[in-house]
Amino acid sequence: MITVVGLHKLVAVGLRRRRVEILKGVDLRVDRNDVFGLLGPNGAGKTTTVKVALGLMRPSSGSVELGVDGLSQVGYMPENPYFYDYLSGREFLGFCARLFGFEAAARHDRVEQLLRDVGLAEAAGTHLRKYSKGMLQRIGIAQALVNDPELVLLDEPMTGLDPVGRVEVKRIIERLHERGKTVMFNSHILSDVHELCSRIAIMRTGRVVWQGTVHEALAEAATLEEFFMQVVTS
Amino acid sequence: MKQLVAITINTFKETIRDRVLAVIVVFALLMIAGGLWLGSISLGEQGRMIKDFGLVAVTGFGLIVAVFVAANLVHKEVEKRTVYVLFSKPVSRAAFITGKFIGLCGTMAVVLAGMGLFLFALVWIVAGQASGMVLLAVLMIYVQLLAVVAVTIFFSTMGSAILAAVLGICVFVAGQLSHNVLALTRLGKNPITEALSWVVYVIIPNLSAVDVKAGAVGEQTLAWGQIGLWVAYLLAYIVVALALATVIFRRKEF
Repeated sequence: MITVVGLHKLVAVGLRRRRVEILKGVDLRVDRNDVFGLLGPNGAGKTTTVKVALGLMRPSSGSVELGVDGLSQVGYMPENPYFYDYLSGREFLGFCARLFGFEAAARHDRVEQLLRDVGLAEAAGTHLRKYSKGMLQRIGIAQALVNDPELVLLDEPMTGLDPVGRVEVKRIIERLHERGKTVMFNSHILSDVHELCSRIAIMRTGRVVWQGTVHEALAEAATLEEFFMQVVTS
Repeated sequence: MKQLVAITINTFKETIRDRVLAVIVVFALLMIAGGLWLGSISLGEQGRMIKDFGLVAVTGFGLIVAVFVAANLVHKEVEKRTVYVLFSKPVSRAAFITGKFIGLCGTMAVVLAGMGLFLFALVWIVAGQASGMVLLAVLMIYVQLLAVVAVTIFFSTMGSAILAAVLGICVFVAGQLSHNVLALTRLGKNPITEALSWVVYVIIPNLSAVDVKAGAVGEQTLAWGQIGLWVAYLLAYIVVALALATVIFRRKEF
């Protein structure tokens, strides 16, 4: 579904506009209906790869194919999401549904359904500035699913969630998988990756240094954590 | 089109719910009411003084709202990273810039209508004049401020919010003076200064052309046909400013 070939990204940093290569030829393949984990230490280029895939950044060279019919089939939740303070959870999801052209009745039904799915029905009328980090994370996931996308990209979806929240998000990802959707997420919580993902890729300093199935990884080490350490420190 | 409507509605909610805006409007109404005191110490010119002072207050406070809100509209979305949510959905940069502008136009309309009607009521109650000209003058202030909003949004796509706000104020001031400066340099017969002031005159919107405050207080007869043409010019200016802002914003990465 997602095909990334030879992706390079150069950015200018500092006053002297020094050119730094943050992606150094990323190659990646995510199949349809995969739950795919994109792993790597901080600064490895995971978020940048996703941003280039979404068109938030332009590639310096290389290509990204999302394998869907434009962004109307994609859902994305950024890391540490920040939303509009002055809107309630219900208004915010309504706004997102409007962006996809939902008519009033369909918009209402979809928003109420999502609020129930992410456990925010009771806080739907509360302004987002009063939401806890975990609640923001959940509304972030809800806005990524508002268009019932074929491809869901989640950047650190478990961060900031309490154990109950984490279980709920994992259930959401499992349900998406059961419905034939493709999910790719970045995470540092390897136990969640182990539990949810069929395939993973590990990035280090702007490159994918390993990709394959979780079973293949576990054939080479006792735990995913151990395998991850082997790959990123080798 | 649906994206444009969504962003317009959201921007209107964002700006109209801003508590700072409410504080500014309260101050503006107090300032307009301050015209009562000025009126009371001007013999026989009470109505004129209230109108004069009130229209200046509407302009000043309207400018504060226009410039400071417009300067932050785009900037805040980038700073707080809400653009990630927007542009990962099928939202074009043109719809974003245009929606932001129209949404703020809605808020400005509410703010100026409130101040204008308050001034109208004040003149009516105190001086016994139901002056429709006051409302027309406020409408023309609104048109001027829309041009300032468009220019400030344009600047905000290039630099910081503070710089955009400062430049927005500069454009407003220069727009009030550019016509007179051009006329003065023509008198000087120096081709270089005349060419320079002509360039400034073309780049900066001629806001003084739609300023009807003098007409509203009875100091001037207004040529409405000509004013209509200048309004059309300002609307065209707004379209160009927003198109340029979109071109610059399209090049941005997040």
